[in-house]
Amino acid sequence: MGVAGMNNKLKIYRAIHDLTQEELAGKIGVSRQTVIAIESDKYLPSLGLAFKIARLFKVNIEDIFSFKGETYEN
Amino acid sequence: MNAKKYRQVRAVVAIFVGAIVSIAATRDSYLLSAAGVLTGMIFLILVRSKARIIVDEREKTIREKAANMTYAIFAPTIGIGAFLLMIPYRDISPVFAKGEFAYLESLGMVFAYLTLFLITIYAISYWFLNRKYGGGRDE
Repeated sequence: MGVAGMNNKLKIYRAIHDLTQEELAGKIGVSRQTVIAIESDKYLPSLGLAFKIARLFKVNIEDIFSFKGETYEN
Repeated sequence: MNAKKYRQVRAVVAIFVGAIVSIAATRDSYLLSAAGVLTGMIFLILVRSKARIIVDEREKTIREKAANMTYAIFAPTIGIGAFLLMIPYRDISPVFAKGEFAYLESLGMVFAYLTLFLITIYAISYWFLNRKYGGGRDE
């Protein structure tokens, strides 16, 4: 499991859209190291960056990022 | 210019500045060392403004954590250092009673003021950033 119980399918979506890490980094305005860190679940992107990624692939955030941690009920 | 090229230029400039400062140190020329450091800084600022260097959110997070860690290590170290240097060794040891090491107490005072300055800066910036990001106000 990744940072704070989060997992992502960024690598899969990047492969579907035939993008290299460098190209994806350029499109979302971050460095290639950041893309690598997100893909390997070592870095949790900000909400803004997560939205940017989701919009780039025309999907919802939940399709790419999933939370596997504890859930709390009201 | 990309980030890799910028890093290479930065390394060359660092070597150049290091060489200038060492030459200046051997010749006791403060002016030369100051000029070398200043030239290096201006050159890097100019190169950086020309190059499109991405400072992304991950790097910002790393900088935040590094700054936090630096504060957490430096403040107690210098604080304890100040305390140890200001212990009145004169009264404890005959070696120190001669007064040859009187400068240690002054150094301790400098360290103590530095610690206070560091903590004050931290407290002010914390207060300012807390307000900026909406903290400290009851609705």
